[in-house]
Amino acid sequence: MNTLKFLFALWKANLQSVMEYRISFLSQMFGMILNNSIYFLIWVIFFDRFKDVRGWGVTDMYVTFGITASAFGLISLLFGNTFNLGDIIARGRLDYYLSLPKPVLLHAVASRTVASGMGDLVYGFLSFAASGLLTPLSLLRFILAILLSATIFGAFLILIQSLAFWMGSASNLSMIAVNAMLTFAIYPITLFDSSAKIILFTLIPAAFMGALPASFAQNFTWEILFQMLFGSLAFLALAILIFQLGLRRYESGSGIQVEV
Amino acid sequence: MKKYFAIFRVTLINSLAYPGELIGRSLMILPFMWIFHQLWSVTFAAAGAQEINGLTVRSTLWYLMLAETIELSRPRLGNTISEAVKDGSIAYILSKPYDFLLYHYSTSLGETIFRAAMNILLGGAMVWWLVGAPPNPFGWPLALLTILGAWTLNFCIAAMIGLSAFIVEDISAFQWIYQKFAFILGGLLIPLDFYPAWLQTIAKALPFSAMVYSPARLFVEPSLPAFATTLAMQLAWIAALGLLLVYFYRRSLAHLTVNGG
Repeated sequence: MNTLKFLFALWKANLQSVMEYRISFLSQMFGMILNNSIYFLIWVIFFDRFKDVRGWGVTDMYVTFGITASAFGLISLLFGNTFNLGDIIARGRLDYYLSLPKPVLLHAVASRTVASGMGDLVYGFLSFAASGLLTPLSLLRFILAILLSATIFGAFLILIQSLAFWMGSASNLSMIAVNAMLTFAIYPITLFDSSAKIILFTLIPAAFMGALPASFAQNFTWEILFQMLFGSLAFLALAILIFQLGLRRYESGSGIQVEV
Repeated sequence: MKKYFAIFRVTLINSLAYPGELIGRSLMILPFMWIFHQLWSVTFAAAGAQEINGLTVRSTLWYLMLAETIELSRPRLGNTISEAVKDGSIAYILSKPYDFLLYHYSTSLGETIFRAAMNILLGGAMVWWLVGAPPNPFGWPLALLTILGAWTLNFCIAAMIGLSAFIVEDISAFQWIYQKFAFILGGLLIPLDFYPAWLQTIAKALPFSAMVYSPARLFVEPSLPAFATTLAMQLAWIAALGLLLVYFYRRSLAHLTVNGG
């Protein structure tokens, strides 16, 4: 309970911090909505010309893209430091979080808000509304799908960035991994053969971030819900384990200081 | 011109200082090419056609390889200039005996060359393995010349976005939108040939197609008339955007206040 209170206090402080530059916050939010809308036009053009990809049509794309964008936005807003955790580790800046009586990983990743994440989060809902599938019940499924998709994405980021404990700098690897994750998450799953799908459910769990939650948002089945729950919790546990293992190898950067 | 060539040469050599970084960043083209192969193989098979609007799976993949190379190798110049404006380091460059814009043009070219070469090498190897040999070598030098034009065009737009930091707090929204226009109107993910006719007309009239589509299309289907058209289009846009950039730069300097340091 205390941890939850701490987390809410942290998010409130982060939000106040980004809202200090209100024009910048709003321009990033609306800029990101516009950015995603323009990007999605590519898929509208594609499906207008080629109709569908092995049964995957533009409606599926609206839902998949919406969930992926919102999940990305949610992580950017609430756990913005997952994107540069590797850098924090490599520069010895975990010292600050280690010196305080709060869970190190949670404190570190939740200490930053990426303002443009609000644009991604909002865009996801607009995309879902544009799919024509919006009903009160489907909206609830969509929100649950976003939460589980965001869990997978956050866990994947922590896992990849934690490799910095062993590699020193994991910036290139994490850039490639994150790009691959997002790219594979928004492409139609029907493109891939079974061996590629194994990769998309394990090594780069993009199917848990895009296709599976999109399928759940469209049609409720206990089987898919269980798969998503199992996938996201297993990945989260693995990510925390890897971080904790890495933390044993961490070398202080003598960087205990006040974070402003 | 000698000093700008020297700046270009120094940046070019600097870009080789961290070969791991250079290769690491270029690896990103591999998953893109693989997923494009999946997408277009399935799409062509579903359409039951060997060729769609003059492109086969093989030529589409080689087109996308060059288009991605142009996009992935261009430096994030907007960020560099915007940071210089925000932290005041622009004053350092302005006090030196060289032109601010030409200095950045030389450094951005220097940063781009090896990054592009590495992308072509890795992306080309992947596409060769997936769909077979590259197109007619006659088109390679022609495409190379127009890639230089594409980078110059990109420089004009990116520098203007960077300089807008004199007016707005944050330029990221402009950068994202510019990038997405280059994606969609440049034909980065889908060749313009697959667009509806009305959109092709609009896209081909704008500078984005001269930055991505035209060089990549020339690469897969080389011809001297296409080369001449592309070059003419690029020169016209470089002249227009270059003048706009110089005007924008001079206006921006009016906003600059240097307080010692």
